[in-house]
Amino acid sequence: MDRLALLRRMMLIRSFESALAKRRDHGFQLLSSGAEGVAVGLCDALRNEDQLLCSGRSIAPSLARGLDPGAVMAELLGRIAGPNRGKAGRGHMAQPAAGFFGAHAVVGGNLAIAAGVALALQQRRSTAISVCVFGDGACGSGALHETLNIAALWKLPLLLVCDNNQIAIATPREQALAAARLSDLAAPFGIAAVTVDGTDVISVRDSATGLIANIRAGQGPGFLECISERFFSHSTATRETRSAAEMEVVWSRCPILRLTGQLRAEGVLASGAMEELQHDTDRQVLHAIAFAEASPFPNSAEALSHVD
Amino acid sequence: MLTESVSATVKLFFREAIARAVSESMRRDDRIILLGQDAGRFGGAYKEFSGLYGEFGPDRVRDTPVAEAAMVGLGVGAAAAGLRPLVSITYMDFLMLGLDPLVNYAAKARFKTGGQITTPIVVKTTAGARGQGVAHSQCIEAWMMAVPGLKVVAPSTPADACGLLKSALTDSGPVLFVDHKRLFSTAGEVPLAESFVPIGEALVRRTGTHVTITAHSYMTRIALTAAEHLAEEGVSCEIIDLRSLAPMDVETIAQSAGRTGALLTLEEGQLTCGIGAEIAFRIRELVGPIRMARVGALRAPVSSNPVLEAACVPSADRVIGAIRRLLNN
Repeated sequence: MDRLALLRRMMLIRSFESALAKRRDHGFQLLSSGAEGVAVGLCDALRNEDQLLCSGRSIAPSLARGLDPGAVMAELLGRIAGPNRGKAGRGHMAQPAAGFFGAHAVVGGNLAIAAGVALALQQRRSTAISVCVFGDGACGSGALHETLNIAALWKLPLLLVCDNNQIAIATPREQALAAARLSDLAAPFGIAAVTVDGTDVISVRDSATGLIANIRAGQGPGFLECISERFFSHSTATRETRSAAEMEVVWSRCPILRLTGQLRAEGVLASGAMEELQHDTDRQVLHAIAFAEASPFPNSAEALSHVD
Repeated sequence: MLTESVSATVKLFFREAIARAVSESMRRDDRIILLGQDAGRFGGAYKEFSGLYGEFGPDRVRDTPVAEAAMVGLGVGAAAAGLRPLVSITYMDFLMLGLDPLVNYAAKARFKTGGQITTPIVVKTTAGARGQGVAHSQCIEAWMMAVPGLKVVAPSTPADACGLLKSALTDSGPVLFVDHKRLFSTAGEVPLAESFVPIGEALVRRTGTHVTITAHSYMTRIALTAAEHLAEEGVSCEIIDLRSLAPMDVETIAQSAGRTGALLTLEEGQLTCGIGAEIAFRIRELVGPIRMARVGALRAPVSSNPVLEAACVPSADRVIGAIRRLLNN
């Protein structure tokens, strides 16, 4: 993608979440605003046949992977036009045929699953890779250690991407994790590991591309830590615990403003172009909402479908 | 007798029946891989995977580190992505470490994705007491029966071990296959021809008229021993080998219990929220009020001390006593 397309994708996610958060009929949502650069930069480094897995914070990963915004909105609003008929919601949305193997809302729960997907790809001699996005909160889990160990031993085609937004619900990352950098967690296993600024979409894309080249060459897994921001509280139903002064700093690190600034400085973004982009993405989101609202909820009999 | 003479069998140990089921299945379906601690060259803790590493090689028979959460997680992920993994968790006690991917992902995958992801995984594990103590002896099948979307099978004979494991390896899954430390060295006739035992069908192991006994896995042998002794007293026991715990063949139990009018449930695990409690309620719903009793482990951990272990888990003597009391009431 060119940089304008990356910008547009990030703006779509921001606009999508903004519209969704204004509603009251979605239960609650886990927003990705502030971390759009991670998902968008990462997905730009992937091929169609690759599989992306993520945590319950699934809006940016799913939209960045190219899922239809209307279908995603329908899933989040519990409508049958969602890829999972509204049964998965934010926590478990999946569309494997589109390269989005899916979210899993158990923190750290998708790490070994993603390694299993990588094992299946390796066993079939596929050139595709498995990619798992998880938060800093998952880095304290034993599942990460177990997965890193086996993935390194078996040289699995697996890219682990830590979207380190530096806070897990209300616990600051430095209170929960002893490692200086989260990419250090991969080092003892001999896994290629990089830490980048997750608010720089280009840097995320380029680092992911480098790691993925090695993975596809059969050199085993990679680990990419992206230091991002969480612009809102943990979920739309959770109170914010950070101070106004802290939030000032958080908001100053906006991936969209960062890329916009670069493009303006280089003269790539003409005056008025931003307004036009904003208008386009807002309209796309309105269409997504209209599509979702036109779709019904599942019939209550579906509570028993696809169980056994 | 005619059918017996034409259906040729071979005598196998239980552990050999498992190896045969895996071997036949892996030859038929190259999506099947085996993951387990010491499952490779070592051939499994009970030699139940003997020969597989040599036949199928290190890509399909993979030794894993001691990492149950990742082992089950990898198996579940690989299943979701198109393989048919058989994951061996040496003891059922350690399955607790791998329950997250099995319960939170595999058992719900088809439901939560609206049918887009299925997880045809078989997790094989070994339950039961044989001198190994409080964290190597447990039977937690009843916990697993409470998980929607998870199938649980627990054979008592080599033929059923072979046939059920083969069915599990063709099932849409997930399936938990539970064997028992005291069964691996038992022998039995297994059909020479490739054969499958359907999941969800109980088997009447012994016919009788006075009381119905339900059991599974090693406890089926305890029930058979008890029935032999009771027959000498003129008590006729019908023994139902459950074989499949989820789904459970309640119809076969109800048919028998309705006829005998007395039901004794036998399990090696805990009675609280146990298999017997589940069976009793469902039979009560189907058959109405009949005499019922249950036998299980004492409400205590299972010690490695031989005296305490024997005191804790059910024996033929305890079953005999319980049946005498049930029928005399």
